[in-house]
Amino acid sequence: MKLVLNGKEIEFEGRQTILHLARKNGVFIPSLCDHDRLTPFSGCRLCLVEIEGRRGFPPSCGTYAEEGMNIKTHTPQLKKLRQQILELILSEHPSSCLICSEKKDCDDYKSTIRKVGETTGCVLCPNNGRCELQEVVETLEIKNVHFPALYREFEVKKKDPFFDRNYNLCILCGRCVRMCHEVRGASAIAFVHRGSNEVIGTVFDKTLVEAGCQFCGACVDTCPTGALTERALKYETLRDEESKTICPFCGIGCVLDVDLKNGKILSTHPANGTSLNRGQACVKGRFISKDVVYTSKRITAPKIRKGKELEEVGWDEALDFVARKLKAYKGSELALIDSPQMSCEDIYVSRKFSKEALKTKNVAVSPGYAPQSIYSSLIMNNSMQFPLNFKLKDIAKARTIFLMGIDLTVSHPIVWLEVLEAVRNGANLVVVSPTELASTRFATQWLRNKAGSEIHLLGYLSKIILEQEEALDLRSIEGYETFLKSLVKLSLENMMEWTGIDEQQLRDTALSLLEEGPAAFLFGMELTSLSQKNMGGLALQNLAHLTSGQLYPLGLENNQRGHFELTHLTSKKDKKIDNIKHSMEDGQIKALYVMGTFPWPKKIRAEFIVFQGSHENDFSQKADVVFPAATFAEMCGTYVNIEGRIQRSSPVIEPVGEAKPDWWILAQLAQRLKRPGFNYKKSADILVEIQKNNPGLKKASPEDLKKGKEIFVQEGLEAASQFFSLEFSPSIPKKSKRYPFLMLNDYNLDTYRSLYLGDVSRGLGKIRDPEWISLCPEDAEKIGLEHGDSVKISSELGKMSGRVRLTNTVSEGIVKSNFIWSENQIFHKMILKPLGSDDFKSIRVLPVKIERG
Amino acid sequence: MNNEKLEKIIDSSRTDQKELIHILHDVQSEYGYIPPEAVTAISRRLKVSESEIFGVLTFYNAFSLTPKGEHVMTVCMGTACHVRGGPQIVEDIERKLDVKVGETTADNKFTLETVNCIGCCAIGPVVVVDEKYYSNITLNKIDPIINEYKEDKS
Ligand code: SF4
Ligand code: SF4
Ligand code: SF4
Ligand code: FES
Ligand code: FES
Repeated sequence: MKLVLNGKEIEFEGRQTILHLARKNGVFIPSLCDHDRLTPFSGCRLCLVEIEGRRGFPPSCGTYAEEGMNIKTHTPQLKKLRQQILELILSEHPSSCLICSEKKDCDDYKSTIRKVGETTGCVLCPNNGRCELQEVVETLEIKNVHFPALYREFEVKKKDPFFDRNYNLCILCGRCVRMCHEVRGASAIAFVHRGSNEVIGTVFDKTLVEAGCQFCGACVDTCPTGALTERALKYETLRDEESKTICPFCGIGCVLDVDLKNGKILSTHPANGTSLNRGQACVKGRFISKDVVYTSKRITAPKIRKGKELEEVGWDEALDFVARKLKAYKGSELALIDSPQMSCEDIYVSRKFSKEALKTKNVAVSPGYAPQSIYSSLIMNNSMQFPLNFKLKDIAKARTIFLMGIDLTVSHPIVWLEVLEAVRNGANLVVVSPTELASTRFATQWLRNKAGSEIHLLGYLSKIILEQEEALDLRSIEGYETFLKSLVKLSLENMMEWTGIDEQQLRDTALSLLEEGPAAFLFGMELTSLSQKNMGGLALQNLAHLTSGQLYPLGLENNQRGHFELTHLTSKKDKKIDNIKHSMEDGQIKALYVMGTFPWPKKIRAEFIVFQGSHENDFSQKADVVFPAATFAEMCGTYVNIEGRIQRSSPVIEPVGEAKPDWWILAQLAQRLKRPGFNYKKSADILVEIQKNNPGLKKASPEDLKKGKEIFVQEGLEAASQFFSLEFSPSIPKKSKRYPFLMLNDYNLDTYRSLYLGDVSRGLGKIRDPEWISLCPEDAEKIGLEHGDSVKISSELGKMSGRVRLTNTVSEGIVKSNFIWSENQIFHKMILKPLGSDDFKSIRVLPVKIERG
Repeated sequence: MNNEKLEKIIDSSRTDQKELIHILHDVQSEYGYIPPEAVTAISRRLKVSESEIFGVLTFYNAFSLTPKGEHVMTVCMGTACHVRGGPQIVEDIERKLDVKVGETTADNKFTLETVNCIGCCAIGPVVVVDEKYYSNITLNKIDPIINEYKEDKS
């Protein structure tokens, strides 16, 4: 199609707004309320244009290009109009600085800083230099505001974590509201009141915490003015350098822009124009990366225990000492623990180090039960292979999404955005969850099942589908008969009693899975931690196979997939953390090399412990030697996200203190132990070696990754066609007289290696505190508890304590807790037992008793 | 607050989000205002966030956030009434009832509101109490009106 823009003929395709088209063709039309990812709002009226044959001045952001249009974007009349409109906007926005004749000098020297207060002057506005309003004022050459100024005298809202809201600076462009609603699905803010009283606000003017804000910061980043600003930046000056990094706080690996000042991180923002996170991030990547890097909990120098105290020493002394100590042990007396939060290079060297330098087979990775482990066990036990790669953006195209065992808005915020997009495009969303989640608000079907009945529920769904699909010829598929036989135990009469879902609802769900086209089955840790044999994962695999759907295992840690790729060929011999603990109790293992985090009993019986990590925690205090590891921001590192996408980041800052990358430390030790093959100069050397030895990662060349090429793990596999026989015992956990509640444990990844993120960010603690025990008001009243009370929780497995949080999201008889590895010592007793004991009980659902404590 | 009543209102409506305004109307006429509990309940039922509901309910004058008094006293502030002394009348009533516009008196008798033209400019300034119109209001006509309703024990 063709049209004429400012006298020039241009071609275009598809449905796009005139504003968009003009921008693409290098024509700048001032605009304030438009945003790429948002539906047109046409509120600010700055983007007005003239279209031949049309009356008036239509806003270009809300008018779609049509064949044969003749559009003018810059006529004297338009300029005048725009100036007037902008003046009107400015009459309600502190503008003395915007149009001050000293502006230029003031920006440079702050010559007139005392003239105006914070809310009236740009120079002190936290958005100075990043403000779109400033830009527009400049382009439209506004010198004077001809309307009486109106200051709305709103109190600045400062009660929430991370950012302040100063609606005196707001121009009501509505970008924040649309972002929060359309893209994030939180709808924590809205336009409230009307006419001249209109303002952006929350329900009954409550805090954002109470209004359901995710603190993703998307509103802050999209606000064209200084109305919404990150508190930590308020009194900072402008950045002098920009860089990029990859967020290490979850399996998505968002690309983040980093603002730097004098070589230090000022703030991190989601990068625009990436195919992965497309300008979005979450509270962790947006607001706390900087705190993680600069916290006083950082380990800044190597330390050796001398007497009772750990004393700082130089690298050489520490490395020599450790090499000497390690030499004294046999391989079988040593154990090493690494972490899926380390980079590929670090993991690779750590495995090589344990094999060739320590000569030990006692190697474990900190948390187990990851969604991908369904595949490791299948690969190990059945020598099967599965394609694991997927593309996030395929989720947005799915017609049905089946979500289970995960609180997606918290665990994988960016995946949630894709799901939301699918829902907005009319997809069905089935959510299986015993408690209310942010996602259940958008569900077409919410299967509010009895806690712990997930495997049964999946079995029933398969059973219903098989009934209806007898015509399908499944008999020839391997495992079909045994799978069918294993379903016999599920009688339809018991369905309601076991799962708590009525038959009709399950039938409807089964039908929609069959009829609405292949579904995307998204699942996480809460499904895979249900049973040690990973029955949850297998049951879902069967269901997906029956309905030709695709599985999306959502691992949590940023490099879980990388860890899997680097270790699954050898991990048959991997130990579980609890095996190592047992061997230590037996005295077989005498020395430990720890890089990962995991629950640890109060008493550690080991002769010699090396702790290598970035932050102090309880465990580091007990070590004999502590090595300071560099964080994600201080080194080159390659990470594989949940999609199988390989990304490599470069350092954005110099290491804090004496910190060094993990691989460097290990390689130094190996060389001191006289091992060949550890002479790496830089991390790229290691990656090249990984490429050679690891078929999955053979395309991960440092040069291509640096260029930003999209590279995925090599697979080329067809999904194996097979059904798995299911086991429906141990039975669904039940309440008893002694333990009248069921406690649900959500695994929460608010950790970075040895650090609990809440320790460096009070704000995070405010939105999700691992000490919270969520309880419904009815139950709380029955046992006489109030919001904030301390409680003791006991179960057959142990005790823990916490604080009551009242919420309607859990139903009567249920309590919900979060657990993170490594902190919350009291909890560990509870967790460790099932990890170590032979009769595995679910750590996901536990019958418990609650008392005031 | 009577939860059963609330549940009935919300339950009797369909769960379609388009029902929001209707439900709010029903809640308003039942309680005389929109209590916070109702916003929470509607949000869960209709799957619309509480802030969005708040946005809708503060957009329309028909909904109020505070309980309304037994009698709603509305002063016209349309252009015609305005030039003939509307603002002074409002001020006077505010002082006499010890409330601001939009508020309800401590004894729950009166809620004071203003409106922009009610279509009888010829007889302005106009004050409306509940459904009854009072025309050509001057400052000394205010006391009698207030007293009329104060004494009314209904
Ligand atoms: S931080 Fe995110 S969730 Fe909170 S108000 Fe802003 S956009 Fe909405
Ligand atoms: S707070 Fe910012 S983004 Fe939101 S309406 Fe105001 S100016 Fe626009
Ligand atoms: S979604 Fe994940 S990767 Fe993205 S910012 Fe949040 S924690 Fe980081
Ligand atoms: S950008 Fe078009 S009206 Fe605001
Ligand atoms: S201005 Fe008061 S009735 Fe019209």
